[in-house]
Amino acid sequence: MRLSFEVNGVRRELDVDPAARLIDVLRDELGLTGTKEGCGEGECGACTVLIDDRAVDSCLVIAAQVRDKRVLTVEGLARDGELDVLQQQFIDHGAVQCGFCTPGMLMSAKALLLAHPQPSERQIRVALAGNLCRCTGYGAIIAAVTAAGRALAAGGEAWGPESAAEPAADGEASRALNEAGVPPVFGGLLSADTPAAGDDSR
Amino acid sequence: MSATRLLTPRDRSELTAALGEMTRDSRLLAGGTDLVRATTQQRHRPDLIVDLSAMAELDHVTLDDGLLRVGAMATFTRLQADPLVVRHARCLALAAAAVGSLQIRNVATVGGNVANASPCGDSIPALLALGAEVEIWDGAGRTRREPLEAVLAGAGKTTLSCGEAIVGFSFAALDDGVRATFAKIGSRSTLSVARLSVAVVVGYQAAEGRLTTARVALGAVGETAFRDAQVEASLAGHRADSDTAFAFMEQCAAAVCRSIPGRHSLDYKCGAAVGLADDAWRGLDLSSPVELSTVS
Amino acid sequence: MTQSGLRVVGRDHPIADAALKVTGGLVYGIDMDLPRMLHARLLLSPVAHAHIVGIDASKALALPGVIAVFSHLNAPAAPYSRYRILPGQALCPEDETLFTATARFVGDRVAAVVATDAQTAADAVALVDVDYEELPELLTPEAALREGASPIHPAGNLLHEFDQTVGEPIARRADAVTVTITVATPRLHHAAIEPHLCLADYDESGKLTIWSPTQSVFGARTVVADLFGLSYNRVRVIKVPMGGSFGGKQEFILEPVTAFMAMATKRPVKLVLDRAQCIAGTMVRPATVSRVSLGVSRDGRLEDVDVDTVLDAGAYATSSPDYAGMMAHKLTRLYRVPHYHHHGRVAYTTTPVGGGCRGYGAPEFVTALEIAFDQVARELGIDPIDLRLQNLVQPHDIDALSGMSLGDARVRECLERGAEAFGWRERLRTPRGDERRRIGVGMACGAHKNGILSTDFPDFSTMAMKMNEDGSVALSASLHEVGCGTRTAMALIIAEELEMSPDLVSITEADSDTTPYDFGCFGSRVTYVCGAAARGTAAALKARLVELAALVMQRPAHELRAHDGRVEAVVGPAEYLPYGAVVMAAKTRLSEDAFVHYTHRATSNPGAYSVQFAEVSVDCATGLTTVTDFLAVGDVGQAINRLMVEGQFVGAVQMGIGSALCEEVRLDDRGRPPAGGFKTYHIVNAPDMPKVRVLLVEHEGDEGPYGAKSVGEIAVVPTAAAVVNAINQALGTSLADLPVTPEKIVAALAQGQGD
Repeated sequence: MRLSFEVNGVRRELDVDPAARLIDVLRDELGLTGTKEGCGEGECGACTVLIDDRAVDSCLVIAAQVRDKRVLTVEGLARDGELDVLQQQFIDHGAVQCGFCTPGMLMSAKALLLAHPQPSERQIRVALAGNLCRCTGYGAIIAAVTAAGRALAAGGEAWGPESAAEPAADGEASRALNEAGVPPVFGGLLSADTPAAGDDSR
Repeated sequence: MSATRLLTPRDRSELTAALGEMTRDSRLLAGGTDLVRATTQQRHRPDLIVDLSAMAELDHVTLDDGLLRVGAMATFTRLQADPLVVRHARCLALAAAAVGSLQIRNVATVGGNVANASPCGDSIPALLALGAEVEIWDGAGRTRREPLEAVLAGAGKTTLSCGEAIVGFSFAALDDGVRATFAKIGSRSTLSVARLSVAVVVGYQAAEGRLTTARVALGAVGETAFRDAQVEASLAGHRADSDTAFAFMEQCAAAVCRSIPGRHSLDYKCGAAVGLADDAWRGLDLSSPVELSTVS
Repeated sequence: MTQSGLRVVGRDHPIADAALKVTGGLVYGIDMDLPRMLHARLLLSPVAHAHIVGIDASKALALPGVIAVFSHLNAPAAPYSRYRILPGQALCPEDETLFTATARFVGDRVAAVVATDAQTAADAVALVDVDYEELPELLTPEAALREGASPIHPAGNLLHEFDQTVGEPIARRADAVTVTITVATPRLHHAAIEPHLCLADYDESGKLTIWSPTQSVFGARTVVADLFGLSYNRVRVIKVPMGGSFGGKQEFILEPVTAFMAMATKRPVKLVLDRAQCIAGTMVRPATVSRVSLGVSRDGRLEDVDVDTVLDAGAYATSSPDYAGMMAHKLTRLYRVPHYHHHGRVAYTTTPVGGGCRGYGAPEFVTALEIAFDQVARELGIDPIDLRLQNLVQPHDIDALSGMSLGDARVRECLERGAEAFGWRERLRTPRGDERRRIGVGMACGAHKNGILSTDFPDFSTMAMKMNEDGSVALSASLHEVGCGTRTAMALIIAEELEMSPDLVSITEADSDTTPYDFGCFGSRVTYVCGAAARGTAAALKARLVELAALVMQRPAHELRAHDGRVEAVVGPAEYLPYGAVVMAAKTRLSEDAFVHYTHRATSNPGAYSVQFAEVSVDCATGLTTVTDFLAVGDVGQAINRLMVEGQFVGAVQMGIGSALCEEVRLDDRGRPPAGGFKTYHIVNAPDMPKVRVLLVEHEGDEGPYGAKSVGEIAVVPTAAAVVNAINQALGTSLADLPVTPEKIVAALAQGQGD
């Protein structure tokens, strides 16, 4: 079947197997091998890409479903030869060791910053809950994403395509859910910096 | 392997036609997270995939006359944040937030979650506690509505026939006099299949400090999630105080024990059920502190 | 604290290929494509123990695109050891074949399909029909070692036994205490995010080339060449970028079978495993059970240690005999003790194959020892810290087992500074939490080593270096970057020695045809031995530059020195030549090259040490444990790349917490692991990791480059014990069966254990 969609800002049209996974189309048909397969079951997040600014596991997406959508892979982060601020912060903070989780980690972080430019540490951890790393222990990664948020706020530079930010949510409870990404009460999750309902800890 | 066909209907009439073509080897595609995993692991390629992602009319959350309607294609990211769901179906918003990772929540749909009918599916207890009805379309253009309980048939099984599709859910919107919550115990704090889950919807008269009605659904124990009358009776009509909280916790533990006799996880789940119930009670935010150490 | 005067060593440096990794530009093995390449997928046994009585590949072969199906019916049957690096290496039983005729575990290699594309190969695997005649499963060492148990291999199920004694028993007073505890560590998945794979090609000239994310190209070459009767120069193994290993890619699991398929098809073949195959079908960290008896005087002095370990090797021997023996080498590196006896047995079982994992037995042993030590502290009513301080080794103690010096062993300082930084005594004194959540603190000390030098085995590394005409340098060395920044560390060492920017230093990885011999990346030898070799090679290059400059400038060499980018006169008429000019002049006027090679021979193997502190919050209702605070202290000599050294500790803590709380390759009663990969094998993810503080103790006291010692393995050695000790402190329990899962905690509390 014919599939037409935008990848890293460029409109592409290809013939694909109707049952093909997005990760295979990206890697094998388009040669975008930055996206990695670590588990094939949507657990490790190494295959994370953005579809219309939302992070997804490309190993679990049927390619046909990205028709007419915008896909962003790690190869699309840098613009005009300039690294995205996230990429630079990952380098500077030692958030990159073996690098296999890095593309997926960057894409999840990118989606987070597009929706929440100044994320709290808790928000970062939850946004990255589906990106496994075995080398860094996440500390340097969280520091890099935090620093990227701060750099964006300070620099005021454009940080991505026009994005459909999360719809404005009314009410304190909904904002808490929206921003924290987790319910305020959740077995095993309580810790000092979990925002309680109505609390906006940043 | 023969090639798989893909149909992407965009409106009801196209969907009806597509449903009419489905065989036992065909599959409905919602978010894809369950379908792709199953296809890869079982090496079974469907003859036809009916892709619902272009059915804009199935991705909605609307409130009409006190009835909240949630389309089957609403993703968990959407349900977690939608103001109507947060305000009028809070247990569903919390359940949505508890599903998988952000990557999964961004594509996984409530319709897919229910159709997959995993005993651990997070949205199912929440929908049961909301008293949800399921709307189903078929390949002959018919529509039917069933209570969710009647659609769940066992672990991984629904009563849907070949060529039928869940298109949405509806339930009475919870008003301000109602408290709703969802709690889950996994094997870690995030990105975990539920080992225990519970959704609670209670009518609360704050002035009197009394609970009026109660609906409680337990998940991840037994073949399907289910409401439990004894647990509900421990809440309905009682004061919102620590005695009621204890009774609630005890009944939750008892209900869990009843539901999985002989399973090797029984000891753990019976014990952990007290923690689950404690989390749920706090989630109701009834402003009555509980002393856990006095719960047997 | 960086020693003064260092320009680049000791500072924070991102790894050199970070820019490639953040742009998706680094080509890993999985991303490589060769012309005419074929794709291979394995068929692994679904049963734990069975004779394979029939294989019907006809349906698979009929699938368009399938080139071949291999099994024991059409592949060589010669056995080999996947662990062997050198010809004639001891403790390398050869009991594994390319494809087995008897399935010995769920995951054993039964067949392989080679096809024109990966999807077809995967589809064809499902079409290969195999008939199994099942045999009794032996899923534990206990079952396998029982009288009359079916032999998994002809020589029986007791694979290895050792008995080691150090010192003499001493007289003990009546009030002395002996605590005995049995500690179990589980079968673990290394869980590098990059799955296992291998690429091989066999050309018309009879040259076999293997591209592999391996930790030893020469080992892979040796095993493969010996297996197929090829001379070593006909087998070229090239190390490709690696997405993590942790020991899981140290043994030669896929290289032999991939090489075979390339030789059989005479085309490049890429073999890739999925996650479930990686978990069951490559190697696991072997499960151990150690009964530890600590005899201690009333005032806390260690008098006697007796340990009995049983290690589950799984279905094939690989490194397990050696690995088990290594467990017995750690105690005397850590504590002074008059008498230590360690008995060990290694059993075959019909379960996934054991193999080396980060720490090489030290985490398993130290977990047992440190949990036991805490029990002693509780019995004596003294602070666990004080108990350790009574017994830890001092700098320059002699390891009673090997007779070798422990070097500048700073473990006591790690403990003291760590305890203060962690606020240990206050936290211990002040119980916190509420009735549902109990908070506790725990600590553990760990020891490891710096290289493989022992009384009967050497350690050395050879490197070569040339300077280019513009003054930049290229190092040729058999380095195996696993992802922790090895090449950057070497570049920093060389840049420091040559007083130049690290950007001017390029570093190769290992290629068995072209780079000088090195054993490989394991045994915590890379910083200590290879790093010293890099420094020595750079120093040799400097000397060579002086030699060349002397000829060019027609001055005696003793009047010159190489300093800060130039060779300059130190006495007599002032003149100088920049390095690049020396090289140019040497080439054009002298027919000489600025090229050196150098061999560093280790003469020491000091202790590596870490002391770690954990705070946990245990939910008594659900049994879920959260690690709420963590401090790792490392005696590292000198951090070469501070950013990466700290990163190694934090990453290791993630692994150690997982092994303490949730990681285990569990098998059902038929020996089957759960379906799914990471869905059922949980490693700690971002929400559950505590903030980890790292404190480095740096005294530059040993012969590593700039005083550096190893980091990557020691970092994970005490972690699990610290976490388990914290849980036991919080609950008053004696949990010792890892992982300490919610079930075990709830069960222990329900049985009234704890206070």
